[in-house]
Amino acid sequence: MNTDGLMEMSFYSATARRRASQLVDPGTFSELLAPNDRLVSPHLPELGEAVSFDDGVVTGVGRIGARPVFLISQEGRFIGGAVGEIHGAKMVGIFRLALQAYETILDREGRVPEERRPAILISFDTGGVRLHEANAGLLAHAEIMDMIQETKGKIPVISLIGSKVGCFGGMGFVAAATDVIVMSSLGRLGLTGPEVIEQEIGKEEFDASDKSLISRTTGGRHRYIMQDCNVLVDDTIRAFRRAVEEILALPYEEICHYRRIGTYPLVQEQMALVQQAAELMPGDSMDVWRCYGNDEPELLPEWELSEFLCAVRRRPKEVP
Amino acid sequence: MEQMIGRGREAITMIVDPDSFQENQVGGVSFPADYGPGAVVGTAALEQQPITILAIDAQAVNPRFPVVYFGIIGMEEAYKMACAVYETIQADRQKPVSEKRPLLLIVDTPGNAPGKVEEIYGMNKATGAYQLALAEARKCGHAVIAMVIGRAISGGFLCHGLQADHILALPKAYGTMIHVMPLTSISRITKIDVEQLEVLSQENPVFAAGVDFFYQLGGVEEIVPDPGRMRERITAHIAEVKALKSEGSFDRSGPWSRGELGAVRGGRRTRKAVLAQMESEFSAIADKYIK
Repeated sequence: MNTDGLMEMSFYSATARRRASQLVDPGTFSELLAPNDRLVSPHLPELGEAVSFDDGVVTGVGRIGARPVFLISQEGRFIGGAVGEIHGAKMVGIFRLALQAYETILDREGRVPEERRPAILISFDTGGVRLHEANAGLLAHAEIMDMIQETKGKIPVISLIGSKVGCFGGMGFVAAATDVIVMSSLGRLGLTGPEVIEQEIGKEEFDASDKSLISRTTGGRHRYIMQDCNVLVDDTIRAFRRAVEEILALPYEEICHYRRIGTYPLVQEQMALVQQAAELMPGDSMDVWRCYGNDEPELLPEWELSEFLCAVRRRPKEVP
Repeated sequence: MEQMIGRGREAITMIVDPDSFQENQVGGVSFPADYGPGAVVGTAALEQQPITILAIDAQAVNPRFPVVYFGIIGMEEAYKMACAVYETIQADRQKPVSEKRPLLLIVDTPGNAPGKVEEIYGMNKATGAYQLALAEARKCGHAVIAMVIGRAISGGFLCHGLQADHILALPKAYGTMIHVMPLTSISRITKIDVEQLEVLSQENPVFAAGVDFFYQLGGVEEIVPDPGRMRERITAHIAEVKALKSEGSFDRSGPWSRGELGAVRGGRRTRKAVLAQMESEFSAIADKYIK
């Protein structure tokens, strides 16, 4: 099999399983709770809905170099990648296994060598809670946030966002809570999805049919300017994979500096941003881009990625 | 029965020692009175011991952010509560677990702010930041108790409630509401007939709305029979959580423990099977990955 060709494949249109297996070294990916385990949602059939043998998420483990890498890869093609009881439990399960791997190495060796420190990758493609089993999905989100806090000081968690559904709802704050966020320009990240804002507040607040408005408000380039997205890459599996390798090559302490929330100083930095929001009350993200010194903000979405990365002015970070 | 919805401030008075609540004072910080008006933070005494209060004022309107009113948690509100949590952690940093002050969340919120400005600046970060702060407080030994007195809806409940060690709720008869979305909205999004959803909502705890179903799922530790007993039950739960943490048991309260409780109460059985299966599959191949 020509894996080079597959690596050039669009991340946006790749299936969850392909993303998971191609993000780690060739031949190292083992799926955990694979479709042949036949553990399916008992709740969907009660509503006459079809089930999926992976419940919309691929979970497994692979290696990058000597490092064990635990993977969560969501499948937006199945009920919008939404999180139900099994889907959520699989995510929690990956966190448990990664943390146990860390403890195992620590117990055996008394320390965890950088090159073998376990890592977690989450490839998001989801709108959050699955309404068909909403309560279980909601409770799973709380467990995942608890797990993320548990990883702090131990293992890095990297978010990859560049798939069709994007990353919204509760998963929007799960991604925000991880250490590093890698996006493509096609990636979408937010809390309340455009349709929900339109429905709750009205079309004058947010026109959910306006694709470029959605991109300017939630897209990878906007998140990169705001420093929410740490690394902005091309829409290929190879580009995401390279970004992951480069991040994991850094000492863990340095990876922690990529965080946007999770400490008191970072929260204070975000509060200064909220102050700016109150004063500026932007009608559009372009008002904010201009504020950071991008004199022709309307051109930013048009540029090639390489041009964009050279020319863009980002929000200055206060906490080093 | 008299409902408690919209009465977060009164609930504080009903729970803490008389005249002990100092609003906007937490640890070394004094919050400006008009900042994040939907969130009420401060320090009170409960049985003469200090306690940090994090409540929702569902009468308040945020003059700076038009979509933040009547209990909706906006960016200022979420960050204000996150700060109050970090200040609490700092204030008791040198103290042993048994002396770390508890945090009490009084829950009555319809959700996080759904606006364009919120999305531009990142409401996901604000609610995420507050949740991480609460989880940190819990893990470093503070008892975190949530008391649902009104609405605990979807992302609002995740933000303000579901990171607690123990969650208590008033019964449905007091107007308490715990759910993700009204059936009419679920019907519109899932394209499933509302009649069919109504049938399911009578019996399936994974889907149905309401305090009793969340209890079955392990999402609520205890239903407190009436508001007059909130003070007593909160005090008891603080003592229980403190005892667990003092003996080093940190996984017998909080979101993970509620997952286990969901299996015990029979409302959430599949989760446990998933975790067990993943663990067994990984242990068979672990040597390939952990050298």
